[in-house]
Amino acid sequence: MLDLGWAFWPLALFVFTLVIGIIAPISGVGGGVLFVPLTVAFFPFNVDFIRGAGLIMALTSALSSAPHLMKKGLANLRIMAPVVVVSMITSIIGGIVGLWVTNAFPTGKYYIYIALGIVLFIIFVVMLTSKRVEFPEVTSIDPISAKLGISGAWYEPSLDKVVEYRTTKMPVALPAFAAVGFIAGMFGLGAGWANVPVLNLLMGAPIKVATSTSMLIITVNDAAAAWVYLANGAVLPLIVIPSVIGITIGSRIGARIAVRARPRFVRYLVMGVMLLAAVLDIQKGLSGLGMI
Amino acid sequence: MKEEVVVEPMNVTFARTMEIFTYIGLVLMIAPGIIYLVSGAGFVGVESAVEHWNEPSSTFWKETKGIEIHGYSWFLNNLSYMDCLSIVGIVLLAVTPLISIIAALPKADSRYKVILGVLVLEFLFAIVRPLLMHVTGH
Repeated sequence: MLDLGWAFWPLALFVFTLVIGIIAPISGVGGGVLFVPLTVAFFPFNVDFIRGAGLIMALTSALSSAPHLMKKGLANLRIMAPVVVVSMITSIIGGIVGLWVTNAFPTGKYYIYIALGIVLFIIFVVMLTSKRVEFPEVTSIDPISAKLGISGAWYEPSLDKVVEYRTTKMPVALPAFAAVGFIAGMFGLGAGWANVPVLNLLMGAPIKVATSTSMLIITVNDAAAAWVYLANGAVLPLIVIPSVIGITIGSRIGARIAVRARPRFVRYLVMGVMLLAAVLDIQKGLSGLGMI
Repeated sequence: MKEEVVVEPMNVTFARTMEIFTYIGLVLMIAPGIIYLVSGAGFVGVESAVEHWNEPSSTFWKETKGIEIHGYSWFLNNLSYMDCLSIVGIVLLAVTPLISIIAALPKADSRYKVILGVLVLEFLFAIVRPLLMHVTGH
């Protein structure tokens, strides 16, 4: 029989990720970006194991959805491959730096809490201010994108036709993806919040292509960073398994609800919770350092 | 009438490979993981894990097993335990993008063959880096 003494936290984690999974598709805020800061704020696990679980969770979600989106023509290897040549390296470096900080310094985890809170503030601002363009107009193509022949097409049911698209500004996008890869690896966050605006607003990918290709980018970046966490023993099944099961079941329920209703207030509510988590993470970090 | 979309063979092969390995990886991760959670026994017993899961990973392993972790032998040498078997599922998930890229390589045009080739090398570096750094004493 289960001793609820030790089973309490894994069970709480399961319920918590189930709720995140349900809310994420309804609010349009990625589950990966909610998991790490909220778990840091409310659960007793070390941030090393939380980041490891966050990476595996984001990886599992992306691996489960990317193939279906690729077969529809929405997620495109032609866009993803040149981008991850850069971001895979930075996500590995992010993982190494993140684990080094917590393991090399006695107070390292508090610096990570503070940095995570600051990153959350940035994510909050990006989410609040970035617009989504359904079908951006691409008037000129940069030489790299032209040489690589980056283009694609998918059947859009709302228009009842096949939509063709091209992307541009690859040289400007690459440094942005490098920064995103580093943050994803360092904090174990899903990076859809940053990938999508870069793909959509900067490179001119239609919003559906941007969200789908972002999934594909996450599969590679998070898988590469996961090796850093595995090699340092920062992946604990006791934390990973309830999280993955919870988010998987929750996101299926959430996706069904989202088809019927996506009230705007839910998005703002979740973003408010994110802001609260940012404050709590910074407060936890500062009090750990004895500064407050 | 619904128009047909022709998806590039490189994308289709990548997607099919990813789909298959993701299913296998998920089963391999979750089935032993649940057994581990229910039984409470593993390479690291749950009671011991709970006691030290608030410590950084290096301290956690010193306290629970008296070992330092460098690389993958900590779970590869202990596959009779369900928690380590569950990690093998995670490993399979973490190697799935690499397998998918290798599968898509023959279907890619010459420019993408080069890019995907670079990705394969980067991925292999990500996997062997911890082993190389340990051997060279870093």
